[in-house]
Amino acid sequence: MTVINIRGEAIDQTWRDVDGAGETDSLDSAVLSLTSLKEHIEALDQKSLSRIGARLTIDDNIKEVADSAKHLGLIELVFSHFKDGRPFSTAVMLRRDYGFKGELRASGDILPDQALFLIRCGFSTIAVPQQFSVEQFRAALSAYSVAYQAGSDDQLELVSDLRRSAVEVAAE
Amino acid sequence: MYVYDTLDKSLLNQRVAEFRDQVRRRLAGELTEDQFKPLRLMNGLYLQLHAYMLRVAIPYGALSSDQMRKLAYIAETYDRGYGHFTTRQNIQYNWIELSTAPDLLFDLSEIDLHAIQTSGNCIRNVTADPYAGAAADELDDPRVWSEIIRQWSTFHPEFSYLPRKFKIAVTGSDADRAAIKFHDIGLKIIRSDAGELGFAVYVGGGQGRTPIVAPLINSFLPAKDLLRYLDAVLRIYNLHGRRDNIYKARIKILVKSLGVDSFASQVDTEFARLDPALFVIEDGELSRIRDMFAVSYSRAEGDDEARLEESPEMRRWSDSNTHAHKTPGYAIATISLKPIGGVPGDATAEQMYAIADLADRFSFGEVRVTYTQNLVLPHVRQADLFVLWSELERLGLATPNIGLATDIIACPGLDYCSLANARSIPISQRISERFSDLESQHDIGPLDIRISGCINACGHHHAGHIGILGVDKKGEERYQLTLGGQGNGESAVGKIVGPGFDEDGIVDAVENVISTYLNVRSAGEPFSETLERTGHAPFKERLYDRN
Ligand code: SF4
Repeated sequence: MTVINIRGEAIDQTWRDVDGAGETDSLDSAVLSLTSLKEHIEALDQKSLSRIGARLTIDDNIKEVADSAKHLGLIELVFSHFKDGRPFSTAVMLRRDYGFKGELRASGDILPDQALFLIRCGFSTIAVPQQFSVEQFRAALSAYSVAYQAGSDDQLELVSDLRRSAVEVAAE
Repeated sequence: MYVYDTLDKSLLNQRVAEFRDQVRRRLAGELTEDQFKPLRLMNGLYLQLHAYMLRVAIPYGALSSDQMRKLAYIAETYDRGYGHFTTRQNIQYNWIELSTAPDLLFDLSEIDLHAIQTSGNCIRNVTADPYAGAAADELDDPRVWSEIIRQWSTFHPEFSYLPRKFKIAVTGSDADRAAIKFHDIGLKIIRSDAGELGFAVYVGGGQGRTPIVAPLINSFLPAKDLLRYLDAVLRIYNLHGRRDNIYKARIKILVKSLGVDSFASQVDTEFARLDPALFVIEDGELSRIRDMFAVSYSRAEGDDEARLEESPEMRRWSDSNTHAHKTPGYAIATISLKPIGGVPGDATAEQMYAIADLADRFSFGEVRVTYTQNLVLPHVRQADLFVLWSELERLGLATPNIGLATDIIACPGLDYCSLANARSIPISQRISERFSDLESQHDIGPLDIRISGCINACGHHHAGHIGILGVDKKGEERYQLTLGGQGNGESAVGKIVGPGFDEDGIVDAVENVISTYLNVRSAGEPFSETLERTGHAPFKERLYDRN
């Protein structure tokens, strides 16, 4: 599976799927389910958390690991169906409320046409579903150049900023 | 009128290009219908019984004359020469081809029109009082706030894949001509005791299967906090609204299941957490928008009283089809799209062109669309009313029936809609013919008849004084009758009177209801008040006991 960044470039995958493996010392770069993460969480310090990823399905509640979430290296939110938009809000909350700064990845059932919304909600990487190409996602990411709302990113220029600077220029 | 600046325009152009590419990918087989569907829906394109239907957004129901001409042009070029104004203050075209839809949207974009978010599980086109900026009873212009909401909600990255559609309506007056309490969020502009501008916020209203009059969840939201508060409401809904059952997915069900207080406190908590800096409505932006809506009225000398006396027809039209304007010497004039026996809300391309010209001559180039499926010229000099009326008369657009028995709201129903159980349009046509006599219509007085072809209630039947709902009973079209709904001002949901009727029966039933009213009303008492006083009993008796 190809993972792309906010510019639509394929990136190297360093995370590995080890769910089910129980050894805490083998967790480096591992992506765990919420259940396994909870099992291990007591034993993990900030530094080891930063080398661990969590994969959350649509019904998982991030609040269950609220205190540790911001230290994780990766959080992956899996779309169960592209029409179920809950991960958009979860992403916004992770960035704004939890102060999560690590890699926030969208995976699962996603359309290229959603790519820009994902990035604007704070996702930093997208796992491109098999049936679509990286090019389709890249094209979608550059479909718009401005936005009306402040996002959790600085991918697009904001209409309000541009209007304000136009007024300032006119005033000079 | 709000006019797009280069930024609004570039977003719109980018959307047109994006949609063109989506259609190309669909036609090339790169997108499945399942994947394409939500994308086309977010561009207002539905697949109906006979063809694609395109719903064009008319933001808060306000059109310029040039936009109206473009709508006429679209009707001629891409449809069969007419369009249908809907209960969402939008216009729908019923005979659209997928392959030319991108060209259609390009044509619309040239005049700042589009079909963005007129469908799909997103924040829909904002609706507002059609008399905005003109009504004498208005506290502040709801279009200003609607435009702020339009921008905030357009291509919202977080709130475009909600559990279900989401409708917001704004009114600036007590008369509430936008039926705000039947919306997911209803905003009523108010002033605090200290004189600060703000909103009373109603959340969780709606029609459909579970009609609910929205409860008040915030009695005073300062105007400056509007977007921050909307964001909080939408996030709670996006995260917690039901997604397992399409009939329980609207926010009204969430509000109901949590309870109003608990819902409100969740919103408050979320609101408190949000950074106000992200939701600032700048004064500069507010006045930029406000200035664009300003109209410079000339001093209107004299009025038309003298000529009114000469023409009883004109007097009748002015009684029912004009409304008090905030500026002395002006009036708000409603153009009825309910000719006797006609299709409610339909207008031909020729009519649209003619109305655009009348708007230029008499109403500063402005036209409004009402959710009751009529058109409004919001700023007409009283001195011009007589000429306007004569012109409308010539065009067959001067039916003097606004708010009366033949001003019927009807959804497209089984004639077009793939979800319908029964036809709505023919029923409304027959009722309209039955009450065609103007004398008696004016005698009956204010009466609101509304028809939906299925429980989705696009014809707002729950909110009609007399509501008619098409149901399917063992493959037969039947009609249920409800009484006592209220759309404007104080909202109320009507109640079913008794067993349903067939097509002939429902038209007779409406007549029976009206004649019962005429028998039992006290002098000067409108239908809704009589019904409130007597309850269903006398009507029921007449409807069911005599046969
Ligand atoms: S009420 Fe039903 S039949 Fe009428 S337009 Fe809506 S979905 Fe179609």
